[in-house]
Amino acid sequence: MANLSPVAIRLEGVSKRFDHRVKGEVYAVRDVSLDVRPAELLTLLGPSGCGKTTTLRMIAGFQEPDAGRILIGGQDVTRLMANERNIGFVFQSYALFPHLSVFENVAYGLRVQRQAEAGIARAVGEVLALVGLAGHERQMPHQLSGGEQQRVALARAIVIKPRVLLFDEPLSNLDARLRVQMRGEIQRLQKALGITAVYVTHDQEEAMAISDRIAVMHQGVIVQEGSAETLYRRPASEFVAQFIGRTNLLRGRVVAAGATGVEVEVQGHRLRVAVDGATPAVGASVTLVVRPEAVAISPGGTGLAGTVLSRTFLGEKAEYQVRVGNDTLQVTSYGAGSSRPLAPGDAVVLEVPSTGVWVLEAGA
Amino acid sequence: MRRLGRDPALGVTVLALWALLGLFVLYPLARLSWIAFFDGGRLSLGHVWSVLGDPNHRRAFVNSLVLAALVGVGGTALGFLFAYTAARSGLSRGWLGALDAATLLPLVSPPFTTAIAMIFSFGPRGLITYHLLGIKGATAYGLHTTLFAETLTYFPIAYLTLRPILAAIDPNVEDMAFSLGSSRWRVFRTVTLPLAVPGFANAFLLLFAASLADFATPLILAGNSFPVLPTQAYLQITGLFDFRGGAVLSFALLVPAAGVYLLQRYWVSRGSYVTITGKAGPATAIKSVAPWARRGLLAACVVVAAVIAYFYALLFFASVVMAFGANHTLTWRHYHVIFTEGLKAIHDTLIVAGLGMPLGGLFGVLVGYLVARRRFPGRRAMELVSMINYALPGTIVGIAYLIAFNDPPLVLTGTAFIIVACYVFRYSPTGIRATVALLQQIDPSIEEASQGLGARSGTTFRRVTLPLIVPAFFAGLGVVFIRSMTAISATIFLVSINWTLITVRILENMTELALGPAAAFSVLVVAIVFVVMAGISWALRRLQSAGSLQVTSILGG
Repeated sequence: MANLSPVAIRLEGVSKRFDHRVKGEVYAVRDVSLDVRPAELLTLLGPSGCGKTTTLRMIAGFQEPDAGRILIGGQDVTRLMANERNIGFVFQSYALFPHLSVFENVAYGLRVQRQAEAGIARAVGEVLALVGLAGHERQMPHQLSGGEQQRVALARAIVIKPRVLLFDEPLSNLDARLRVQMRGEIQRLQKALGITAVYVTHDQEEAMAISDRIAVMHQGVIVQEGSAETLYRRPASEFVAQFIGRTNLLRGRVVAAGATGVEVEVQGHRLRVAVDGATPAVGASVTLVVRPEAVAISPGGTGLAGTVLSRTFLGEKAEYQVRVGNDTLQVTSYGAGSSRPLAPGDAVVLEVPSTGVWVLEAGA
Repeated sequence: MRRLGRDPALGVTVLALWALLGLFVLYPLARLSWIAFFDGGRLSLGHVWSVLGDPNHRRAFVNSLVLAALVGVGGTALGFLFAYTAARSGLSRGWLGALDAATLLPLVSPPFTTAIAMIFSFGPRGLITYHLLGIKGATAYGLHTTLFAETLTYFPIAYLTLRPILAAIDPNVEDMAFSLGSSRWRVFRTVTLPLAVPGFANAFLLLFAASLADFATPLILAGNSFPVLPTQAYLQITGLFDFRGGAVLSFALLVPAAGVYLLQRYWVSRGSYVTITGKAGPATAIKSVAPWARRGLLAACVVVAAVIAYFYALLFFASVVMAFGANHTLTWRHYHVIFTEGLKAIHDTLIVAGLGMPLGGLFGVLVGYLVARRRFPGRRAMELVSMINYALPGTIVGIAYLIAFNDPPLVLTGTAFIIVACYVFRYSPTGIRATVALLQQIDPSIEEASQGLGARSGTTFRRVTLPLIVPAFFAGLGVVFIRSMTAISATIFLVSINWTLITVRILENMTELALGPAAAFSVLVVAIVFVVMAGISWALRRLQSAGSLQVTSILGG
């Protein structure tokens, strides 16, 4: 099943407009440029309506961009129809042909290519074994479970040895447990085949688990690209900080600046924060991105003083909502079973370490 | 336009369909308007005033509206009785089957079957009037009999409209009203009935339009004392050879028909209150009908069904006796007559229906697919134009075809082709609707999946879309065939010595008082239609068990 050498996908200034009944002409995708490296799995991540699916459908050729170019393996495919692009597409709804058996569904693309019958039977058998569906050839799609249908869709997409694999929220119709299992299989298969893939999802956990790189989209533009860890630790904007993982945003003002860090006044309390890269100037308004698990909560000590609003016990961890001044902060505490639990109404002190906090300058 | 350029097969198909629609829908209507509203090349309302000035014509106009309104009210009431009983009173499958059969008979029969049976029952030598009550010289003609026959003929349309709406009302909503302390009557009045209101409006308008367009029933039953527009237009053309007068009268028919059509579109577009969710079926039983009320409803339905059965039995009886009302000796004479003298009509009708069936089915599927799935300039216009001949009363379509294809550039009168074309463009919209409805249930990504796997648009249509919409194709075929066997209002203007139809022969027999052959012909038509319907239902069931989607009904009206 090994493919020929993997190819890159390149988007250059791609835009797509729609006529909106009320707002007139709106951009679904605006001036998107993107490089997907050969054999890489890149995820387009964003809330619904951010343009990620439109971008994917333009790569596939189901929609035509109004501006810009799309290149697959260096070839300009912008004006080619989907059937001329040699892509494998996995749909959210699976889109299996309901009138064809599992075998005929998978064989469809090979029959379109007019391959010999013996070759088709061999290729379909191989790919069905690869997705763990050997022996299901004669079943009809409606006789399969959701997970099995998704495997057929996957087999149908890869059997034609496409140059790229495109996934449009392929797991959103499956239950939580199956989703985790299937995303592992998709990742394993993509790596084994060494095929370039673009994956669309709105589920940040899924994106972090499966991707080599993630491009976060918001209102038709890519707002940040990077590995899951980069996006989590060094978000470029409040939107990314809030979309990737849970977060607290603390507004403050820089009161002192040094070479490796700054002091920020938050709610009348001074926090020392490490900074790498450009240091914001004294007097600048900043937002601190503080992850809930980075904060230490205790009945006493030094730090931000607050009051516990609620406590949710979740087994290996406990989640607190803490009122600090006018803000409500989320705090996650692991190994919470040992000491006396903090109850709503208790006065607490929150310690924010100098590392593990990310500084965003106002306007980001 | 770039899209058409990218996909030349689509462009060619669209242009070909437009050429057909232009020739067989728009062109006849334009010729009809020309002859009615222009005089010597100039717009003139002179003919309109002279025709409408005739008090007889004005009376026909008023009569048509009165009759249509009464049929609308009566048929909706009867349809609601059947629909409510079927959908809400927890009947067994056997009873449901019986109700369905009773409503199916009038739907698939020639439109004047009930009218003929009325004559047998209530005419001067009628079974009830003469034999049972001994009334001499009873008259079966006028508003009351026409109303009765049309109501019985068309109420199944109301039944088919109302039943799904009533069936879709969630019993949990009624349970909620009970839990708040409502009585059964109060629940019916304040919950069930209001939820069915959009259905009532729709059913009334459908029946109003059906009655307005009905030509055969009034021709047999209305008599001279109760003229209506379709018959007046017919007499104007066939009796007086006044094409212009016929054209103007048919336009007088068009005004209320178009109004009703627009109103109905408006109501349908507002939709019904009933929302169908994907949730599992309600776990609660329907309790809103008391046992005594249920028995009452059922009894009323049985009475109506018995009347229908009685009429059809009478029809059959009349076809196997020497002379109904006078000599009740059993004989096959009338069947011998229709299979000798009448053989040409049977032969012609079957050829016309057999030609129209595949053409109409294909046309319906093709237009339905393009309109529902493809994007091209003029898509909405194509959808609208393809429905015109279906929405117009048959009398208008028939007169328009007669005027348009009687002289150059295109002379078709006297050929089978004109009758086939009339049926294809008048009855394929059911197939269009069925195709659109089916495609709306099919995820478009299934077709994209095919495209993504390398298939061109033609291959995708042939290998994926077509197999999935085969049920709609069969539904379209069935309707074109059934209507080709039973319709008369449009084609009575288009028959000739070369090509005639069974329905036209039945009317001729009726006017010549050859009641036996008329009855025998009617029985034959009902029998053929039932055999074909059964065949199509069987084919549809086979297809549906093979994983295809459902077509709700093959009788779109």
